[in-house]
Amino acid sequence: MSRKRIINVLLKEWQFLFTDINSVLLVTLVPLLIVGQLILYVWLGATFAGESALNINIFQNALANLQSATPTVAALSGSEQFQVLLLSQFNLFMLLIPLMIAVSVATFSIVDEKLSGSLEALLATPVKTWELLLGKALAGAIPALMVTWICAGVFLLAVAIMGWGYLLGMVVTPVWFISLFLFTPAVTVLSFLLGVIGSSRARDAKGAQNLVVFVVLPVLALITIQVTGIIWFTTLSALLLALGIVLADVIVLRIAVRLFQRESIIVQWR
Amino acid sequence: MKIIEACHLTKKFGELTAVEDLSLTVEQGEVLGFLGPNGAGKTTTIRMLSGIISPTSGYAWIGDYRTDGEIEHLHESIGLLTETPGFYEKLSARRNLEFFAGFYPNIEIKARVEKYLKTMGLWERRQSRVGTFSKGMKQRLALARALLHEPKVLFLDEPTAGLDPEAAREVRELVKKLSSEGRTIFLSTHNLTEAEQLCHRIAVIRTKLLAVDSGQNLRHRFFRREAVIRLDNPGGTVVEAVKKLAFVEDLREEADRLVLVLSEPDKNRPELVNAIVGAGGRILEVSEREHPLEEIYLKLMREEK
Ligand SMILES: Nc1ncnc2c1ncn2[C@@H]1O[C@H](COP(=O)(O)OP(=O)(O)O)[C@@H](O)[C@H]1O
Ligand SMILES: [Mg+2]
Repeated sequence: MSRKRIINVLLKEWQFLFTDINSVLLVTLVPLLIVGQLILYVWLGATFAGESALNINIFQNALANLQSATPTVAALSGSEQFQVLLLSQFNLFMLLIPLMIAVSVATFSIVDEKLSGSLEALLATPVKTWELLLGKALAGAIPALMVTWICAGVFLLAVAIMGWGYLLGMVVTPVWFISLFLFTPAVTVLSFLLGVIGSSRARDAKGAQNLVVFVVLPVLALITIQVTGIIWFTTLSALLLALGIVLADVIVLRIAVRLFQRESIIVQWR
Repeated sequence: MKIIEACHLTKKFGELTAVEDLSLTVEQGEVLGFLGPNGAGKTTTIRMLSGIISPTSGYAWIGDYRTDGEIEHLHESIGLLTETPGFYEKLSARRNLEFFAGFYPNIEIKARVEKYLKTMGLWERRQSRVGTFSKGMKQRLALARALLHEPKVLFLDEPTAGLDPEAAREVRELVKKLSSEGRTIFLSTHNLTEAEQLCHRIAVIRTKLLAVDSGQNLRHRFFRREAVIRLDNPGGTVVEAVKKLAFVEDLREEADRLVLVLSEPDKNRPELVNAIVGAGGRILEVSEREHPLEEIYLKLMREEK
């Protein structure tokens, strides 16, 4: 029965999502823009910065880290090393896609129901809180992850077309896989849950979406510390980080279910 | 047989007490009017009874289920018409109902949705987005939603509020029909006429429960019954004769009418008529004065202050 109810929520959310032009754009255009931007950065960086960028201090540490993680990089020319460095950041950048989709879908789907009053009718049915949240979570997370993985494919393809295919072997490492298939889903769920928490407290979608800042900032911070070489994700540290986030998911899920008390969600809309 | 039983329900929102120590029961098949001004705690009570919010203290039974127990089963046996209809306006009427029907076990979703769209006269518009519906249509759709799983108990929160008279009448007709099918209905309203027309008993609430009884009994409790005699020839002799009767406790003259309070109205009336006729009074009409429910309501509200 739980499964039937979760699927019921999921299908409704999708129908709702895909009849709304804004949501459709959010799920298609935004990710493509992000990927396009990434490709542009890599191209600009490689074309104009080239060797000289290597002399910039902040990249020195990162390059050293890169070389120790992937020794084959050392054999490349300076500008090629720089390209690998840039390309290696892309999986973190890609995190922005599911983050933005998950937070937007989560907050809209709950705040909308609050404002239209359908939530109260929904809460009078036998649906359980966790079924409702999970249905909504999957409705946001599944397309977000699909789109992210498609974008990852598009990115790799674009890189290959630009003639850098031979560098990809140094970019698509175990860390890359962990990042895309473990870290990204875990972070997507996390940002969804934060969206739920935000929207069970917020009075409108805008308020809830300010939360985007709180999930996007850590990702940007992560990229910064990696580019500046403060830390570099090895297979082990990436795995540990991903597991840490999975753990955070479980904890935050419990908090989310508690905060999404049927009571507060009806009470707060006044 | 009791089907709703509220036991000392109290709900506080911070400092504010919305509902205080409310206990009442509703019998199977009964329509209970829950009457009170805005902010009296009607919606809060319905939310507590339907297990959507939890009371600060107290509890309630709906059939075999307690509001602080297995809420899922309680929800299978109730239908709720919320104060605002609350639909997914971008989806069709039919899709909306199918979605809500999807949460109940063992129901033939398509057939049920069709049945209730037809009952509510919305079958022709099943493909239209709910956003294009008028208020009255949304209200009927919301009733259809509340009925889909054929619940034992229906909670209707101000079902006619904000509707135009025609739409309100339609909704009242539907409520009457549901009642005639023997459904238990808990109907909140701030409309006295509606409460009187539709309900077997009326509970008057203003944070606390002020009174529960049938409209008729409330009248008798709050106002003494007054007999009204209209005469062709009002005047002295008749009044004198009537004043002599022991069971006449009070007497007023209003134009061609005598308004009397009798000790035992049903028993005394024939004797009263005899006495008047004996004194030469030519009676045109004998009736009893009905106090509008409004007076009782206002009296209750004043006492409360
Ligand atoms: N979620 C809430 N948070 C704070 N106060 C509330 C909430 N819901 C209702 N109230 C207050 O409780 C009282 C009763 O409200 P309500 O049950 O909606 O009354 P009614 O339905 O009879 O108009 C009102 O004073 C209202 O402001
Ligand atoms: Mg109300």
